[in-house]
Amino acid sequence: MNLERIPNEEKLSLCRRYYLGGFAFLPFLWLVNVLWFFREAFLKPTYTEQLQIKSYVKKSALGLIVWVAVLTTWITIFQHFRAQWGEVGDYLSFTIPLGTA
Amino acid sequence: MCVSSAAGVCSSSVEQKIYVELNETVPCVRLLNATHQIGCQSSMSGDTGVLHVLETQSDLDWILSSGPHPPYMVIMETAFFNRSVMMRMKNSSRVSGVAVIVSKTGLAQNFSPHTTCPNQNTGVYGSELANCNVTVWNPLGNGLSYEDFSFPVFALKDENQTQVIRKCYEDHNQRVNGSAPHYPLCAMQLFSHMHAVTDTVTCMRRTDLQNRFSINPEVLCDPLSDFNVWTSTRPLNSSAKGHAANESVVIAAARLDGRSFFWEQAPAAEGTVSGIITLLAAIQALYPVTQEAPPPRNIFFTFFQGEAFDYIGSSKMVYDMEKNDFVIDLKNVHSILEIGQVGLHSGRSLWMHSDPVSRKNDSVNEAVSEMMNRMESAAAGLSVSVGHPSFSQPLPPSSLQRFLRAGPIPGLVLADHQKSFSNRYYESMYDDAENLNVTYPPGLTPDEQLVYETDAAKSLAEVATLVARSLYLQAGGENNSLSNITADPKTVAQLLYGFLVQKNNSWFRSLLLSAGPGPPQFYIGLGPRIHGPVHSVTRFVQYILANLTGTVTNLTESQCQNPSELSTENKDLFSYFWVSGPASVNSTGEPFCVRASVRLSEAVSPAFELLEYGSRNYSTWTESRWKSIRARIFLVASRELEVMQTKTQQNC
Repeated sequence: MNLERIPNEEKLSLCRRYYLGGFAFLPFLWLVNVLWFFREAFLKPTYTEQLQIKSYVKKSALGLIVWVAVLTTWITIFQHFRAQWGEVGDYLSFTIPLGTA
Repeated sequence: MCVSSAAGVCSSSVEQKIYVELNETVPCVRLLNATHQIGCQSSMSGDTGVLHVLETQSDLDWILSSGPHPPYMVIMETAFFNRSVMMRMKNSSRVSGVAVIVSKTGLAQNFSPHTTCPNQNTGVYGSELANCNVTVWNPLGNGLSYEDFSFPVFALKDENQTQVIRKCYEDHNQRVNGSAPHYPLCAMQLFSHMHAVTDTVTCMRRTDLQNRFSINPEVLCDPLSDFNVWTSTRPLNSSAKGHAANESVVIAAARLDGRSFFWEQAPAAEGTVSGIITLLAAIQALYPVTQEAPPPRNIFFTFFQGEAFDYIGSSKMVYDMEKNDFVIDLKNVHSILEIGQVGLHSGRSLWMHSDPVSRKNDSVNEAVSEMMNRMESAAAGLSVSVGHPSFSQPLPPSSLQRFLRAGPIPGLVLADHQKSFSNRYYESMYDDAENLNVTYPPGLTPDEQLVYETDAAKSLAEVATLVARSLYLQAGGENNSLSNITADPKTVAQLLYGFLVQKNNSWFRSLLLSAGPGPPQFYIGLGPRIHGPVHSVTRFVQYILANLTGTVTNLTESQCQNPSELSTENKDLFSYFWVSGPASVNSTGEPFCVRASVRLSEAVSPAFELLEYGSRNYSTWTESRWKSIRARIFLVASRELEVMQTKTQQNC
C-alpha cells in the first residue's frame, strides 16, 4: 500500500492497529510498523498526527528490541545446552538431528 | 568435472571417470548400551582425506605431525592395528578415517579387541570377584571394540581392491626423496553415518518420539536379537508352560555367537565354533542310546545366541523360566554342563570350572563334586583327561552365571584353559580355521575336504565323546551303556568344514538353501524383525539338529507345513522341517519331511520387554541404523576442488 495516497487519520489508525496487534505475540507486526512508518514518523515535515505516529513507532521499536533479545538468548541457550538436557531437550525439540548429540 | 558437479546432473559416465567405488568394504558400526556408545561414526556426507599408507614409524609421524595435507585417510597395515596407534589416531585432528588392511602377513602373535574381563557387569559375581580380581580371563585384550571413534574405520579384505588403492597411492601420493608430494593427490571418502547417539535410553526415547509425533518416523536403533535353539532327549510339550511335572532335567549348553571390531565379521572358531561342534557331536552320539536305554532324567540341549553382548540369550531363557513362560522352570533343572572354549587343548587336559560362591552351600557342593567325579570316570577310557582349577577361582564368562543369578544350581563349565583363555585371538577377525589348526592338504576337491578328518576333528570328537558320556552318567544312566556312546569324527569333520571354511557345501545344501560362499559369520545381528528369516547360523544349527536327531516321515509338503491336521503327528511335541535332500550329479535332491523335537526360543534381552532401557541387570545392546555405507577413491587437484568433489553425490 502506498502511504502517499492515504489521508493522515488513516495512517494514524493503521499505525495504531499494527502497534496493538503486535501485543498478540506478533513481533513481526512491530518490525513492519517500524520499517513502514519510519519515514512518515521522522523524515517527513510535521503534521498533526505525526506526534502520535512517532510515539507508536518508538514503542514498536522498543518492543521489537525486547523480543529480539529474548529470542536470541533463548536460541543460544537451547542450541548450546540441548544435548546436555537429555530428556527435557528431546521433548522440547521438533526435529532432532540424526547422529549427533 | 566442474560442469557435472555444478549442474548436479546424473552424468554417470563422467562420475565413473572421477570416482572409483570400492565395493568390498566392511565398516565398523556404532553399538549402544545403557550408558555408552561404542564403534565408529562418520560425518553425514562422508569423511574425506588424502591417502597415506601406514607402513613404518616415519609414516606415523608424517600423518600425525609433519605431513602438509591434513586430514589424512590412513591405510593401515595389519601390524599397526593395535591400541597405541589407534588411540593416537583418535586423539589427533589430522586423521579423517582409517582403512585397515586385513591379512595374515604382519599379524601380531595375539590380537584381541575385546575387553580383558568380558561381561563383567552382568555375571553373577559382586564386586569382590567380578572385575577379574582373581584371574584375568582375556589378558591379551586391548579393548578396541569398546572404544568410541569419531571417524570411520573400514576393513579392506579383498586383495585386488587393496592393490588398486595402493597403486593410486604409489602413483600420486608417495614421497619422493623426503619431499612432500604435489597435487593432484589420491584421496578416499568413507561414508558410514550412524543415526543413533549417546546411549540406548536416548536412542529408544527419540525413536518413540518420532513414532508418535513425526509425519515421517525414523527408527534410530534396533535391539540385538535372534533365537536360541533347543532340543531334548525326551520331547517336551511346548504348549505347556511353567513347571513340568515329574521332569528333572540336565541342561547342556553352548554359545552360538561371536563378534569382532568390524560389523558382521566374526569367524569365532575357538571362541564359539569349538563349543557348538562339540555339543552337536555329543547330541548325535547320545541320541541312539537315549532312545534304547533312556536315563531317568531328561537331557535338555540348548544353544544360546547373543552371549558376547551381556548374555542376551541365556538371560532371556532364565527370565522366561522365572516367569513360567517356558516349557520347564528352574525347579526342574537338576544340573548344568556348559561347553566353553574347547578347541585348543591338544594333548593337555580339559578343565572343569565351578562356582565357589554357590559351593559354600553343602548340598550344592556335594552335587558339583559328584558331577566332577562322573566326568572323571567318563574320561577314564579316553585320551582326554579332566582336571579342576583351584576352588577359589570364579567361573569364566559363561551362560551358567545367568542361571546362578536366579538361584544356586550345581553346574560346571568345561574349557581348555585353566586360568586365562588359551585363545590368542578372542573375539577378533583372526579367530578362524587356522587358529584351530584346521588345515587341509592341497589338491582336495571341496567334497573331499568336507569329509577329511583333520587332527582337530579327531580331538574335538574325543571331547564330544567325553561330554556325551558325562551327560549320560549325570542323567542317571548306567555305566555299562557308556561304551556305546562315541562321537563320530566324520560328523565332526563335516561340521568343522561347514562352520569354518565353506558354508556352501553339499551337506548343508541338502538340508536347506545356504547363502553365499565362505565361512558363516557368527555376529548376532538384528534378527528376523529386520532381516527376514532367522539368522543363517541359527538356521544351520536348527536343521543340523533335525538331521542328526530327527526321523524321516513320509508327509507331503503341505502336510509338513500343517501337521496338526493329522492325528498321528503332534505339533506340540515336535517340529516339522521340509528338507531339500541330498543332491547328486544327475539330479537335485528329492525333498522330504523330517520330524524332530528341535525348537527355537526368542533371544531378545528382557530389558526391551520390560522397557527398562537403562537396566543394569540385563543386556541393553542396540545397533544403530544408517542410510548408506560405502567408500570411494578419487584424485583431488587442489584443496578447493576437494570440497566440491566430496559433495557430489550419486543421485541416479
